[in-house]
Amino acid sequence: MQTDTKILAHEFEYLTPNTLNEALDMLDRYQDKNAKILAGGTDLLVKMKTINLKPDYIINIKNIQEINFITYNDDGLKIGAVTSLSQVEKSKEVKAKYSALYEAIKSMAAIAVRNMGTIAGNLCNASPAADTAPPLIAYGAEVKLANKRGERAVPVEEFLTGPGKTVISSNELLTQLNIPVLDENTGSSFLKIGRVKADIAKINIAVYLERKNNVCKSCKIVFGSVAKTPIRVKGAEDILRGQQLTSDVLTKVAEKASEEIKPITDIRSTAEYRHEIAKVMVEKAVNLAWERAGD
Amino acid sequence: MENKQFIAISKRFDIKNVGKVTGKEIYASDVNIPGMMHAVVLRSPYPHAEIKSIDLTEAEKTGAICISRDDVPDLIYNERIVSIPDKTYKDRTVLPKDKVRHTGEAVAAVAADTEETAFKALEKIKVEYKKLPAVFDIDEAMKPDTSQLYSYVYLGDKKIDIENNIACVRNISVSDIDKGFEEADVIVEETFNVQRIYHMQLETKSTVCVPEADGGITIWTTTQGIHNVRILLGEIFNIPLHKINVKRITLGGSFGSSIQMNSITPICVALALKAKSPVKLVMPREDDIYDHASYPLRTKIKIGAKKDGTLTAGHCKVWVEIGAHNIQAYPYLGCIAGWFASLYKWINIKYEGKAVYTNKTPTCARRGYGSPQINFPVENAMDILAEKLGMDPIELRLKNYVGKGDEFWGQGPTIKSIIRSCGVEEMLVEGSKLIGWDKRIPPSEKTGDIRRGIGVARGFHTSGTGGPNPGEVIDYSGATVKINEDGSVDVVTALMDHGGGTWDVAAKVAAEVLKVPFDKVGIYNGVDTRTTVFDVNTHATRGVYCGCGAVKLAAEKVKKILLNYAATLFKDLPENLELVCNEELGQAVVYPKGLPEKYKTVGEIAKTAQIKSWGTIAYTSSLRQKNCPPCFITYFTEVEVNTKTGQIKIPRVIMMGDSGTIMNPELWKGQIIGAFSQGIGLGYIEEIPYDTNTGKLKCNGFITDFKVLTTTEMPKIDDIKVLPAHTYEPTGPFGAKGIGEAALSAVASSFGNAVYNAVGIRFYDLPITPEKMLKALKEKEEKKDKKE
Repeated sequence: MQTDTKILAHEFEYLTPNTLNEALDMLDRYQDKNAKILAGGTDLLVKMKTINLKPDYIINIKNIQEINFITYNDDGLKIGAVTSLSQVEKSKEVKAKYSALYEAIKSMAAIAVRNMGTIAGNLCNASPAADTAPPLIAYGAEVKLANKRGERAVPVEEFLTGPGKTVISSNELLTQLNIPVLDENTGSSFLKIGRVKADIAKINIAVYLERKNNVCKSCKIVFGSVAKTPIRVKGAEDILRGQQLTSDVLTKVAEKASEEIKPITDIRSTAEYRHEIAKVMVEKAVNLAWERAGD
Repeated sequence: MENKQFIAISKRFDIKNVGKVTGKEIYASDVNIPGMMHAVVLRSPYPHAEIKSIDLTEAEKTGAICISRDDVPDLIYNERIVSIPDKTYKDRTVLPKDKVRHTGEAVAAVAADTEETAFKALEKIKVEYKKLPAVFDIDEAMKPDTSQLYSYVYLGDKKIDIENNIACVRNISVSDIDKGFEEADVIVEETFNVQRIYHMQLETKSTVCVPEADGGITIWTTTQGIHNVRILLGEIFNIPLHKINVKRITLGGSFGSSIQMNSITPICVALALKAKSPVKLVMPREDDIYDHASYPLRTKIKIGAKKDGTLTAGHCKVWVEIGAHNIQAYPYLGCIAGWFASLYKWINIKYEGKAVYTNKTPTCARRGYGSPQINFPVENAMDILAEKLGMDPIELRLKNYVGKGDEFWGQGPTIKSIIRSCGVEEMLVEGSKLIGWDKRIPPSEKTGDIRRGIGVARGFHTSGTGGPNPGEVIDYSGATVKINEDGSVDVVTALMDHGGGTWDVAAKVAAEVLKVPFDKVGIYNGVDTRTTVFDVNTHATRGVYCGCGAVKLAAEKVKKILLNYAATLFKDLPENLELVCNEELGQAVVYPKGLPEKYKTVGEIAKTAQIKSWGTIAYTSSLRQKNCPPCFITYFTEVEVNTKTGQIKIPRVIMMGDSGTIMNPELWKGQIIGAFSQGIGLGYIEEIPYDTNTGKLKCNGFITDFKVLTTTEMPKIDDIKVLPAHTYEPTGPFGAKGIGEAALSAVASSFGNAVYNAVGIRFYDLPITPEKMLKALKEKEEKKDKKE
């Protein structure tokens, strides 16, 4: 493998649609022609430089204003595909209501990268360690996928199918994220352990739970970087659901969660460490979400 | 201690290198020459392979200029020529002639109009390899039936056989080691490993070469020494030195990785000579990571002491896994012996060192030249010994440290001098008060998930490699100092500034001698090997002590010339004149002693000298320092171990440094704080592991997966204290010694000792990652459970 990360020696056709329709037309036209979508470029350009990804067409969707927004109303939180991570991070609603998402974005890379990168890109890149995926799965978020002929909604949980793999078709564009309004008495949290502050996660976790009469009414616990995709530990969720948050329950939740994950040893950490640390993180993240849920 | 009023020294000034903070500074990679071509390098995908054939035809068809083994000279050389020729091992050519010995070794290179077109041409080069078995492990490498990297190399001009991949050996003995251990009541014997890491200097290695009309070349390159680059290029390409000009240009960081001429420099020259056109070659980060790493070290250490803590013996067996080329592991082994011998009074010493080739990236010096690597075993062993003796670790150190009046090995066994300034005691005593050493409790008394611990470690580095007697290392510097026609001063030197402010010090020294205000002294780039006299290299923490020593010598001679001219003007004798700084005038002035009102400014004197055609007031010096005084450092590091996650934080640190007179107080602190960050990185997370199946780095050369610590992982600024010892080095310029490399020597050691104090676990292999910590904690728990 020969690389030169200072340059992009590979030649490609660079397309810059200004409207969504234009973009979908292009995707339709080039769907079989090795085209890649560029939103923030923080993953795409890196891959072109480091693993010799050689697209023939690059469709830069950054100029499409229709998909550059972040809104919040009774319908929930809606985020356009080219809205930068920094824009989401700065949203008052996100900070106030969607703690896990806010914390996930805060934990990502450095400011310069967050200014360029997008949540949509983070999802489409489909890294098992993607930081925004666990909170989005925990919240039950959906992505909107559009092509020339129409659109469909897919839960984030089903969107990601493996490392670098999603259900998106080559003529489809992820245009928007929908995150439901959160119920009363709910709380969420996100935790991440990396080698250093600005890093890809060794392991990350998001918890979203509903607390009523001091009992956990419902919950979702989602880990990243411990399996081929971000995963829910449903057995651990079952243990927590309907229970008061005692240290005994928490220990059982932690043990179960650690059993359910399937981490590997890679350059960032070991499977053994991930199993161990998963327990600590579940306890801490559940506690945090529990406190935030109030009562 | 000399008590002196300085005009520039020890004061805070705006730095001379203003371009660095405004973004205007020009580095080698910024140099653009009209008609310049851009080069890229083809590198081996295999760790060990015979080169069967290289076909450049298709690449050349694109119009690119290509070189491979047939286009470079046959000369076998060593890129580092700081040691004397007789002690220099040589094993490489500009491009490998027969086989590649590590993944990422340069095989061919291409120059074209743009880097992109060069890269495309590069992809058309066809190399046929025959893969050979590769070896990555030091023990494996030394087995007789293991694949050999070399059958022979050269030591000076002598051909020597290489057996069992052993590149060189160094054994040293002082007194009687067996007797020493017989006298010991307590013995500590352990094995430690300090890992190889990447230097992670900001600037990747870069070179621009212009072939001149007369057959000569002009070079801008990342280097710590322009003269050695010139000498070596002269030898390799057989060009007389007066036709080679290496320009001094600001260094974007090095940490020792550019003591040697960089591997790409002669490649760039070969391309430029073939192309008959200027060529620029700037390494991408991944090439840089595959180009050099720091020397690792495995140490089997055995030390002995009497019941009262008096040391009786020290025995070290060290192995260094050097990778695919020997970039002077021989002096490295010597220096490690020296650092070991100079830490404590072992009385009886035995040292056995071995350097071993493997099919990994070649290793070279990194900040400390082995000092952090040997300091870790020694300072850990001292703590283990203190515990065995039931003695306070500080007391044990105070009892045995090598200090004032003792002999210091500044550069292995051949460069030694007597220590004349030493702040060790002050630093240990004052530092312990500041950290609250008396409140430190043993790990057994600590409970809870979060455990804090305090560790101490001390170290040093030499200031230069001079000494009363010549040794294996070449060491002298030179400078030209010149008073301009308006009284301002030019300092011209080949000395490099690594970012620690060495050029500022050079300006301060000239200002101090000539009593000229600091802002009237200039030290600029634009000088080169033609306009400067020889300076061996800015390495070995020698910038201030040696390099600026030469500036001081030149300035003193200039002062004499100045006073002679002034004497003519005053119709008096030079010894009857006074030279002082007049701050109101912003000038140095001369007056007859006792008659300050009769002054003439230096500007007036210089102008008169010009008008009357007396000549320039200038002098060029060449100086070898006769000593190599150690600059000492002591760290009191507090750690906070999260026993649930294995993560370690640094809540607090006291850093004590002994540099004699401190020339640039703020930059001095900066050097120490920076070294602390680097040292914790070494202790906590940095490593560059290999995939031994493919022979590639697991990080693939990308810093995405080679992590270093940043400010985020440092203690808060209020929790970092940096304090100087109050010393004066009588042999240094205005009492100064160095700091740069000393600052790193003891950081990881203090970290390791602090970790032990926090959780009661001694770690013998660096780095102490959260993964290792958690595993060790678990094992400790299991052991405890079994006992119960």
